[in-house]
Amino acid sequence: MSYGIRLHVWGDRACFTRPEMKGERVSYDVMTPSAARGILDAIHWKPAIRWHVDRIHVLRPIRFESLRRNEVGSKIPVNNITRAMKAGSTAGLANMVDEDRQQRASTILRDVSYVIEAHFELTAKAGSEDSVGKHLDIFNRRARKGQCFHAPCLGVREFPASYSLLESNDSLPESALPAGARDRELGWMLHDIDFEQGQTPRFFRAVLVDGVIEIPSWNSPEVKS
Amino acid sequence: MILQSLVRYYDHLIEHDEEDENGRLARYGYSPEKISYEILLAADGKVRAVRPTLDTTGKKPRPQLITVPQPEKRTAGIKSNFLWDKTSYVLGVSASSKRADREHAAFKALHFDALSDETDAGLCALVAFLRHWQPEQFQSPLFPDEMTDTNVVFRLEGENRYLHDRPAAQAVRARLLSDASLSGAGGEARGGRVACLESVGTATCLVTGAQARPARLHPVIKGVAGAQSSGASIVSFNQNAFTSFGKEQGDNAPVSEQAAFAYTTVLNHLLRRSPDNRQRIQIGDISVVFWAEATSGEAAAAAEDLISSFFSGGPDDAAETDKVREVLETVSKGRPIDRVSSSLDPRSRIFVLGLAPNASRLSVRFWLVDSLQSLVEKLAWHEHDLRIEPRSWTMPPTARRLVLATVPNRDGTKPKVEDAIQNLIGETLRAILTGGQYPLSLLSNTVMRIRSDGNLSGLRAALCKAVLTRRHRLLKQSFHEEIPVSLDIQSTQPAYLLGRLFAVLEQTQRNALGGQVNATIRDRYYGAASATPASIFPMLLRNTQNHLSKLGKEKKGLAIYLEQQIGSIINGLPPQFPRSFKIEDQGRFAIGYYHQSQARSPKGEGTLADDVDSQNSDGAEQGESA
Repeated sequence: MSYGIRLHVWGDRACFTRPEMKGERVSYDVMTPSAARGILDAIHWKPAIRWHVDRIHVLRPIRFESLRRNEVGSKIPVNNITRAMKAGSTAGLANMVDEDRQQRASTILRDVSYVIEAHFELTAKAGSEDSVGKHLDIFNRRARKGQCFHAPCLGVREFPASYSLLESNDSLPESALPAGARDRELGWMLHDIDFEQGQTPRFFRAVLVDGVIEIPSWNSPEVKS
Repeated sequence: MILQSLVRYYDHLIEHDEEDENGRLARYGYSPEKISYEILLAADGKVRAVRPTLDTTGKKPRPQLITVPQPEKRTAGIKSNFLWDKTSYVLGVSASSKRADREHAAFKALHFDALSDETDAGLCALVAFLRHWQPEQFQSPLFPDEMTDTNVVFRLEGENRYLHDRPAAQAVRARLLSDASLSGAGGEARGGRVACLESVGTATCLVTGAQARPARLHPVIKGVAGAQSSGASIVSFNQNAFTSFGKEQGDNAPVSEQAAFAYTTVLNHLLRRSPDNRQRIQIGDISVVFWAEATSGEAAAAAEDLISSFFSGGPDDAAETDKVREVLETVSKGRPIDRVSSSLDPRSRIFVLGLAPNASRLSVRFWLVDSLQSLVEKLAWHEHDLRIEPRSWTMPPTARRLVLATVPNRDGTKPKVEDAIQNLIGETLRAILTGGQYPLSLLSNTVMRIRSDGNLSGLRAALCKAVLTRRHRLLKQSFHEEIPVSLDIQSTQPAYLLGRLFAVLEQTQRNALGGQVNATIRDRYYGAASATPASIFPMLLRNTQNHLSKLGKEKKGLAIYLEQQIGSIINGLPPQFPRSFKIEDQGRFAIGYYHQSQARSPKGEGTLADDVDSQNSDGAEQGESA
């Protein structure tokens, strides 16, 4: 993987929501590959490239916390928005929050720190001026400077992520995972959503081995859809 | 992980089919429901008798739990159950439903469709009954009035088993279930209320990894206190905001219907409220269930018994208390748990799940997987952190009793758990079971309670000590002195010393003025003394001189002793009284006060009335335990 990158990501709180517990959020134990891809996309992405996450290093013990938040129960339907766009006015396009309150509890992660190892491939939309080297340089430059399209987040937008690029000769940050917690079975975890085929979710069996999760590649048979 | 572990437990229970009826899990497609009456049918469909199936062992008769075909999940639609339902469906009679006629029509339609070709005697009897039944026939003496809006089942005359237990009925049920799963597309008519648990197409089940048809709606989970009585769901997408990518209901999280049935059945089984169920504890608004996975059934049962005595054993049960104490002592010395009892396997895995209700949804308050040895070690640490001498309990208090200590102690009434902050209970329990830090708001709530109540019981002092001790240990705060378990005369911690000083000053006042004082300095000045000592203590010391001089005339020996005590404490203080104390120091103040006030003077005089206070409040808490 000579064109791979390593990014150290950390934050106070994170919530990588399990799909089956969306109403009252419960987080996965570790970062999902799709959340990792989201962070990389936030730093640099063009239709010409597609990120593939290879490995996630877990650096801090897995700790949960529970909190309750007042949220809303409905989204504005897409038809209302297109109608407003065609009509050219936003009259009537509103979501009355006071009538729509839902109190939802969330079980989130505390004090997370990961190192994402990933590489990207050029997609069919890559033009003649796109090359792997060029995009790699752009990513490295942006990650060093702290540039991003939008603030990368740890699962949900309320929990922003801080990041720093690990250069090729940098060593991994020290791991605070205690010895007894470095190997764990994490069950079926969401790999990513297949946007080309009706947004179906695809899952893989996640195993933490010595603090590292190996992510199978998108097309491998281990990723079940 | 949660659903997966539940499904694994279900498979384990089904494999080792339990012997007693109560413990037996329903097979696929059936579930235990509360049934009140049974209708006895003759072979030609006439009603022979109507008998109650109530369970009269308790104080009042309750409907019995009978395994029947699993009920349809209905919220606002009309969907009939197979071979049983409430009287508005079965008989068209209801006091509360305004559409009993439509519901009865649905019941009839379902059964005429399904049973038209059957030749079994019982099923034919049912069909004949339905053909001739009119709701006006619902009259006493045959049909009692209490039967309205209860669940009823059928039984053929002369038989011991219910109609739905007949082999032919089971076969029809199996056929209907498999038809429903095959004709998924036909059941999805929007606006139509066809009973259908399936959705179109197969997907990877995120619990088992197998390719299967995802369940559209999961069966409900009953038994969580505080949720709506018709049942709640962990996996639910009942609001627009919870869906993603335009998916509806179960497609947001594909779980195969077998897995959905398995985890809901086993969860309902764990949550059942029967006296033999030791795997369920209620702590505040959280319903906690736990189970064990071990190499042998005996080890699993022993592990579950041990955990349940930790959670719910009261101080009245001496045998359990002894066992718990023995286990904690063994484990805190680092020895494996099978030294205590050979049936306990230190490697058995314990699963703990805490569910809290939110109307029709359930939120997972915490989820824990640990080996038995390591879990008991964490409980031993909890006991160690909480220990304060003199102790006011025989067994380490549970999370519930701890949080009750932060609740207002109104005169005459016992502290109620509803007054406590629910989130605090969950986080405290999580801290106890994972060995993590106690929530800091536990300390601040306790300190606040002490200041407003004026009641500094042993449990409240222990709480302050527990939070501070664990912070000291986990955050490796070596710059702070460790909190002493019993009275430590050598300690130079200013807050601890001032707490001791306050106790001695109160003792002096009480001895000088007698025990009938209306308001001691503790009632008036405790809050201010613990928060802003620099403004209060000089004034208190001035007044104490008056008390000492009065005491010197009556009991000279005691006066000298108290003066020596005050002198030795003040010697340890820094040159100036601190201006204000932060919350941790207010906790230390409380601990110092408690230690000093519980110590007796050498002649046995100067005993303080707050001994009685602490016994009273602890008595109230002990009576309340779990």
